[in-house]
Amino acid sequence: MEDRSQPISRRGLFEALVRPFARHAGGDDGAGLAQGNPSRPADDGTPKVAIIQGRFCLAYQGGVCFTCSERCPVPDALTTEKGIPTVHADICTGCGICHDLCPAPRNAILMLAPPETPALARS
Amino acid sequence: MSNMERRDFLKLSAMTAATAAAQAKAGVERKAIHTDDHGIRWDKAPCRFCGTGCHVKVGVKDGKVIAIAGAEDADVNKGLLCVKGYHVGGILYGKDRLTTPMLRKEGKLEPISWDEAITVVADRIYKEPKKFAFYGSGQWTIPEGYAAQKFIKGGLSNNHIDPNARLCMASAVTGFISTYGVDEPAGTYDDLDNASVVIFWGNNPAEMHPVLFSRIVDRRSRGEKVTIIDIGTRRTRSTEFADHYLEFRPQTDLAIANCIAHYLIESDCYDKEFVSKHCNFRIDVDDTTRDLFGKASSFEEYKQQMSTYTFEYTSQLSGVPEEQLKVLAEAFADPESRITSLWCMGVNQHYRGTAMNRLLHGIHLLSGHFGKPGDAPTSLTGQPSACGTAREVGTLAHALPGGRIVKKPAHREACEKAWNMAPGTINPKPGYHTVKMFEQFCKPTAEGGDISTVLVQVTNPGQTLPNLYKLFEAKKDLEDKFLIVSEVYPTATTELADLVLPAALWVEKGGVYGNSERRTQQWFKQVNPPGGAREDLWMTIAIARKLFDMGYPGMKDQDGKFIFSYNDEQGNEVPIWDYDHFHDINVDRELYEEYRPLTHGKRKNVAPYDVLVNAHGLRWPVVQTKDGNWRETRFRFTEADDPFVKKGTGIQFYNSTTKDDKAQIWFCPYEAAPEEPNKEYPFWLCTGRVLEHWHSGTMTMRVDQLRKAMPKAYVELNPKDAAEKGINNGDLVQLTTARGDLVLPAWINGRARPPRGSVFVPFFDEKLLINRLTLDAYCPVSKEPDYKKCATKVEKYDPIEKKPLP
Ligand code: SF4
Ligand code: SF4
Ligand code: SF4
Repeated sequence: MEDRSQPISRRGLFEALVRPFARHAGGDDGAGLAQGNPSRPADDGTPKVAIIQGRFCLAYQGGVCFTCSERCPVPDALTTEKGIPTVHADICTGCGICHDLCPAPRNAILMLAPPETPALARS
Repeated sequence: MSNMERRDFLKLSAMTAATAAAQAKAGVERKAIHTDDHGIRWDKAPCRFCGTGCHVKVGVKDGKVIAIAGAEDADVNKGLLCVKGYHVGGILYGKDRLTTPMLRKEGKLEPISWDEAITVVADRIYKEPKKFAFYGSGQWTIPEGYAAQKFIKGGLSNNHIDPNARLCMASAVTGFISTYGVDEPAGTYDDLDNASVVIFWGNNPAEMHPVLFSRIVDRRSRGEKVTIIDIGTRRTRSTEFADHYLEFRPQTDLAIANCIAHYLIESDCYDKEFVSKHCNFRIDVDDTTRDLFGKASSFEEYKQQMSTYTFEYTSQLSGVPEEQLKVLAEAFADPESRITSLWCMGVNQHYRGTAMNRLLHGIHLLSGHFGKPGDAPTSLTGQPSACGTAREVGTLAHALPGGRIVKKPAHREACEKAWNMAPGTINPKPGYHTVKMFEQFCKPTAEGGDISTVLVQVTNPGQTLPNLYKLFEAKKDLEDKFLIVSEVYPTATTELADLVLPAALWVEKGGVYGNSERRTQQWFKQVNPPGGAREDLWMTIAIARKLFDMGYPGMKDQDGKFIFSYNDEQGNEVPIWDYDHFHDINVDRELYEEYRPLTHGKRKNVAPYDVLVNAHGLRWPVVQTKDGNWRETRFRFTEADDPFVKKGTGIQFYNSTTKDDKAQIWFCPYEAAPEEPNKEYPFWLCTGRVLEHWHSGTMTMRVDQLRKAMPKAYVELNPKDAAEKGINNGDLVQLTTARGDLVLPAWINGRARPPRGSVFVPFFDEKLLINRLTLDAYCPVSKEPDYKKCATKVEKYDPIEKKPLP
């Protein structure tokens, strides 16, 4: 396909994009409001996979949002079909970027232990 | 749909509209307000951002906006909001809100009192009233814009007032006026629910009007068939949902529209009855003159002029394959299809923006795709009140409220009478339009730069004007020029300001907005502004009062009363210029009701304030029916729905410029862009917004989720161009135009895909000012600049050597 005519380093791009601004640097500006994003679950070192909760996801609710699919650094781990995002658990590395960036009023992405391979079995 | 069906349909629609209005009527008790079990007080407001005009429920607790929800009972959005809308409450609480007036002293902004600040402004104006200019906004509320208008055009007899809407809607205005004799769309969003074909002309509603886009796409999930044709210069998120995508070489959209007209005539399938009954033909005066009204033409001349635009010629010029042009032309030729055309900045920010607007109306009129549900040429507005405040209140350099213009004696007279000002008060000469205003401001006085003071409210020209070095930053070295900026956060504009006035934002003040579909929307103040921030409306009135106290004659009406004199219920004048008393009466209501009769002249009758209090907006013309209800209008100029159309006429263009109740079908030729790619600058550069950010990002970049979702500007490149230049995603790229250069990270296969030989850069990022590179050439009729195309060089940039790589 013409679009894949050259190697893509998505990670490179977003490292450049997320470098903070001096003036705007820093955390919560109060934008969280009442239904602020639940903070990211403590990283306990166990493998995780992203799960999209349709009831909180803007795209699932008939809205327009492409943050997670645009920003996932792993090719094909998070794809969209007619605007609706899907995580492919076998490819997702559990890096949590999509969770961190999801702009829905209630964060729509959970980071959970992979369903098919319980954390126990892996360790 | 037969004529009979159409009438039934519209009647039914009108009935539902009337019922909604009846519910709205019941007095001024505030129905929208209630407190829930958690002690959150909920009230209504329109969203602060785009021209879609969604309605939100605002949840307030302990004096702070703590929750936002979509209003389920609002027709516009039925509970849905876009990502910006859900976070609209967050814009109030950025850490660096401006809370105190600041005056530049020895290069530094130092806090001063409000009284000092107002005195400084009044002194500047008193000394040189004719060299003062007011730069406003399509985000001004209607009362704010109306007060500014009355203050400068009436009080100062000075017409140097223009809104940022000049940069965004001016070409739509000139297109409507030269076609129908009156501004703003005939149709409404309801047409999107009925259209069988929706065409995006250089429009990306998935990002710019997301809730409207959802409304269209949602029909498909309900099993309805709607064909989407996307006509653009780059693939966007909207294209993903399109059945047909026509990619044209920038500027050749003019030829594409003409090609449709040519086909309709050649194949003899234009709507002869509609055209002969309701249309005249119009053309430019000659090959070089481009003015608002042109001269009368004929069908024969129109046909002859259009004969150039064959499929073959147009395809060669535009790069769109002939088969695709045929698909488009066939859609218009089919009398059974219901076509809604949508357009916004792609058509308006266009060197021939007025022409392109006329041509779109023209093909709808020629094909008869007008006036039936779903058949509408509908221009969308970018800003929440570009229609309400800029266009209806007429805060443009040449305009007066209600569709009037300063040039016409009768129009001036009507306003002078409404304002109780002496005949001859209003200057008949139009003031400076935006580009000219800032050109004159940034030009040294000795060289004829005859604007010495600019007051900016509710907009950020330091980031959004084109060719920023010339039109804004050149001010820096001019000692005698004075920039006053009312703002909510530090911006590129406050950076050069000599005086900064901290402003109240959104629900920290009351207001009235007018959205894209003629819907007037009212809201009340719901929280206090932080610190010393105050309403823009108060600032204008306080400045006027200071001038009144200094003895400036224009600030008195014919009876010697202050021009903003309003009474309480006991009939005593309330000193609203004193901030302690500003909220003693509802100043919004006073000003709006003073303005409202002025909308009747051109039948733009907006709804009464008290009716709006309990409505999610009403679409003008709004008239009172025999039973006392207020009824809105879904389709103007059609007998079945518009109360001002004479019975038996079917369709009546009652504001016709030719005074015969007919609309004008224009011929406008394809004409080249002002700057095309060349040897030195071989790429097209296009600029625009992104979903997550509102305009210059002043508000949305303060919202954590939105900033994280879209943190920084980038340059979108075609993968082949990138490969050829060895550019990878994230690499730095230098863009250079004849006006400036900028280094940005590359994004390939990102949000959208520009064709080979073109790049796109969003303008929201105040650290990466793409408008230093854009062109200030504008449409000769609307004076709206073309932000969508200029020529640029594209080079890979070496961050270590800090220069472009060879
Ligand atoms: S970022 Fe969040 S809201 Fe947006 S599409 Fe992904 S899951 Fe849905
Ligand atoms: S967790 Fe990481 S890899 Fe998995 S979908 Fe989210 S962003 Fe992609
Ligand atoms: S930004 Fe526009 S589309 Fe989004 S919620 Fe606000 S008005 Fe609606």
